[in-house]
Amino acid sequence: MKTTKEQKKINARSKKADEKQKNILEMLKSHGAKIYDDLDNGQFPKFSIPSRSVSNIVYDKKLRQYILGNNAAVRSSRNSAQLRSFTQLMWLAFFANRLTHEKKSSTLRDVYYSSQAFAIEFEDQSESDNIIVDLEAVTSKPREDFHIFPEERSSIFGDLNIEYTIPGYEGKTMNLSNHPDGYSIGPSLTTAELVDTSAEIVIAIEKGGLFTRFVEEQIDKKFKSIIINTGGQAPRSTRTLLKRLHDEMNLPVIVLTDGDVYGEHIAMVIKSGSANAAHLRELTVPDAKWVGVWATDIEKYKLPTIPMTESDIKRCYDLQKDPRYQDGIWKKELDVFLRLKRKAELEAFSKYGLTNITEKYLPQKLELAKSL
Amino acid sequence: MSSIKEKFNQISPSEFFYSNRDLAGFSNPTRSLYTAVREFVENALDACDQKGILPDVHLTIKAVDTEKPDPKPYILTVKDNGPGIDAEHIPLAFGTVLYGSKFGLKQARGMFGLGATMAILYGQITTNKPVTVKSSVDGVTQHMFELLLDIQKNKPVIVQHTTKEVSKKGLTVSICLEGDYSKAGNKIRDYVYETSLITPYASITFDDPKGQKFSHPRFVKEIPPPPTIIRPHPHGIDVERIRRMIVESQFEIPTIDDAMIEKVRKDLGLSAKNLSFTAIMDKAKKKWKTLPRQVRVVIALMSFLKMDFEKLMKIRIEDIDMSNKTLSYWDFGDSQSKSVDMDPESPYYKQLTNTVQGEPLTTFLTKRFQRIGPTTAVKFAEFAKFKPEKRMGTLTNQELVQLSDSLQKFDDFMAPDSSCLAPLGEEPLEKGIKKFFNPDFTAVVQRPPSAYSGFPFIIEMGIAYGGDIKSGGPHVYRYANRIPLLYDEGSDVVLKVVNDTDWGRYKVKGDPPFIIVSHICSTRIPYKTAGKENVADRQEIERELRLALQFLSRKLAAYMSKRGQADMAKKRANLYAKYIPLIAQFCTELAGKKKEPNYQKILDDNAVESKQPIEEEKEIENN
Repeated sequence: MKTTKEQKKINARSKKADEKQKNILEMLKSHGAKIYDDLDNGQFPKFSIPSRSVSNIVYDKKLRQYILGNNAAVRSSRNSAQLRSFTQLMWLAFFANRLTHEKKSSTLRDVYYSSQAFAIEFEDQSESDNIIVDLEAVTSKPREDFHIFPEERSSIFGDLNIEYTIPGYEGKTMNLSNHPDGYSIGPSLTTAELVDTSAEIVIAIEKGGLFTRFVEEQIDKKFKSIIINTGGQAPRSTRTLLKRLHDEMNLPVIVLTDGDVYGEHIAMVIKSGSANAAHLRELTVPDAKWVGVWATDIEKYKLPTIPMTESDIKRCYDLQKDPRYQDGIWKKELDVFLRLKRKAELEAFSKYGLTNITEKYLPQKLELAKSL
Repeated sequence: MSSIKEKFNQISPSEFFYSNRDLAGFSNPTRSLYTAVREFVENALDACDQKGILPDVHLTIKAVDTEKPDPKPYILTVKDNGPGIDAEHIPLAFGTVLYGSKFGLKQARGMFGLGATMAILYGQITTNKPVTVKSSVDGVTQHMFELLLDIQKNKPVIVQHTTKEVSKKGLTVSICLEGDYSKAGNKIRDYVYETSLITPYASITFDDPKGQKFSHPRFVKEIPPPPTIIRPHPHGIDVERIRRMIVESQFEIPTIDDAMIEKVRKDLGLSAKNLSFTAIMDKAKKKWKTLPRQVRVVIALMSFLKMDFEKLMKIRIEDIDMSNKTLSYWDFGDSQSKSVDMDPESPYYKQLTNTVQGEPLTTFLTKRFQRIGPTTAVKFAEFAKFKPEKRMGTLTNQELVQLSDSLQKFDDFMAPDSSCLAPLGEEPLEKGIKKFFNPDFTAVVQRPPSAYSGFPFIIEMGIAYGGDIKSGGPHVYRYANRIPLLYDEGSDVVLKVVNDTDWGRYKVKGDPPFIIVSHICSTRIPYKTAGKENVADRQEIERELRLALQFLSRKLAAYMSKRGQADMAKKRANLYAKYIPLIAQFCTELAGKKKEPNYQKILDDNAVESKQPIEEEKEIENN
């Protein structure tokens, strides 16, 4: 039996989700109405899309993420070169409207195939993916808000109670420490309300193997943490969840990656986003901390290494030009990677025993994180 | 030292051509059949043009034995409705090499009518059959000759000569020759087809050996104005030509025989009775102005001989030596040579000088060349360092070369007269192109006359796009003096100019369906080879071709850009019709409405050519 207080809380949460859906639908409707009126008045409808060209992506120091500049392009149905993509975008808005109404989720691939029922031909999925980004840019909303989710799944484990909002599960709650393989971060988890947690920190880890080891070693309990497997570069739904854990539950976020330039950048994307998603906000955790594996750790912990490839080295030079890598540990570690020209994986700690990473390395890093 | 004596033989022109027949386009059975067709068809058209007759030309090629494989003997017959040739000239005209009527300076298809004789010669050496010529000049009597050429003597052999009554004028020539129609057929059909394009006032039919008939009726009823024969331009002349002109300008001393004396007597109006020398001279002085030149020369001679008609009949003039001022003659009565002195002060002396030494330089220039007046003639004499009154007959070889060089170098002559040219004209050319290709776009131009090396020329050009024209253009149709040029396309100046053109600049792209018709008219086409199939790249001609092509290309570009716009508008309208209803459908549901918006207005406005400028995607600044 739920207490009245709890019931109230549930109602409030449900109301909040409804509110969000209502806002999305309102916004789509107003776009549709404008186009409707244009057509009815014998005008060619058009709208403005913020330009996503490289020259219009700028780093905002205050927001600590990449954002789009002020350049925008007009997409007009009069222009025969744009008419097709204009229609595709209209269809997508129409499709997203239906998804949101019916609270159904879909994937990028779904969208590509669904279009074929409406005589909207996309040449390939990358064309339809591009139109989805257009819709995000026009509305400044991530596609997840329109119930379009990525294929990749990352997972979460730890003492966290959630409450579903998706149809059929409304009000149902779940504790995310009940299943030792962790819970996949899909549409239902992303849209669920975060109820409460005993954890004090979120540990995002790059690799599934280590995620399993952390669960086995009960890192969640030992360090009062929620463990998230990003599965390489964190998907946007995972980044959204990280942000919500930080913002709504006031949990600090630390990131543990392989000791190479790609690992460093995985941490950076969680912290301050990617240029690809410069048209979106609310996908970043500016306070997230990268704790390792650092380049300096390779020497300090005498980790077994493998040499960097050509592309690793090129990536280092590329990141040196990125404004976010101009100071602090970001710059320092990048320089060391370039000096060593070698890299180490998280699994490298296994040289000193399978639990070396959880028993020795992690505690030291958690301690260090407090001072970062 | 060689002891072998070389043997020198004179060969006849027939023999020369017999051993060099590939020079004139008779190298193999394929080429020979094609060349023979050309020569006879062109002669027929030239004959009609000269008399202002609308040509009807019938070409027939028949295999002697249809079963035999190629190459094999064919009978080639060309029949026209032209003026015909007088019976007395036929044996020489068709049975002699280098006998012709086209030696005047004006534009014609063939130069001397040489090629037809070559074809006859080729027929004879490959099949040993005579040529058959049927000609009627009056439309009443037709002469039929069967002729063979005596190659060594360059003389005709008449095998048969008959006459019969007919109702039409015209000439029919029929020869038997070895040919290869299976290979030459394409070119011959192309030749007939292209000839009828540039000769729209002619009706041409062709019955081929396979029983197919090709008919090209005339579609223009007027013959373009015929060219006039003109005198040569000084820039287009050489030493040999000057030498010949001088010979032509000098007069022979008339033979003083009974007939001549009778003529002098008659012209002086004297009766049969004998008159004294003085009486004759008195009479001549009075009548001088009305006397013909020959009579004047006889009178002049008589004045120095101091003889009457009686005595004159008994002598023969031997020499008139102007430098020693003596006149020598043979006296039949005394059977010995005698001479008298001539008084240079006598007015009759000048008459004889003119006759013997030729005209003064200035007279020669003004009378024998086009567009030279007395002032220019005197200026030229000064330039060439000759006395203006220098007698043409007294020029030494060295002086002749000097004169010829100076004629080339003197810049103050007027440009060559172009009245000797006969371009087709813009209107018939355009009509022809439209009829042949049914194009979407046509433009033609006739450039003003120009000249190279003293030979005037005119460029006519046409360009057409779309319609029945097949893609893969530009297809170039080359003509020179109304002859289609079909062989050796690669090295031709017209092709060079066309290939130099960057068609992208004129909005012609991809595999365009378009043709270019180029017609060069000149008194002398600078062919690269004796086969007369490709024109050399003379700078002046190339320039005129370029200007003509540029002019037409600009017109084509304007058309293409219009066409492009229309295509675009159509394409756009189709796109609107496809996508706007979809947009309407989607936004109706998005906006939460029941009824679709009225988008028909947009479609209607854009069903025809869009008048509004196309809005391009452009970056715009937000605040």
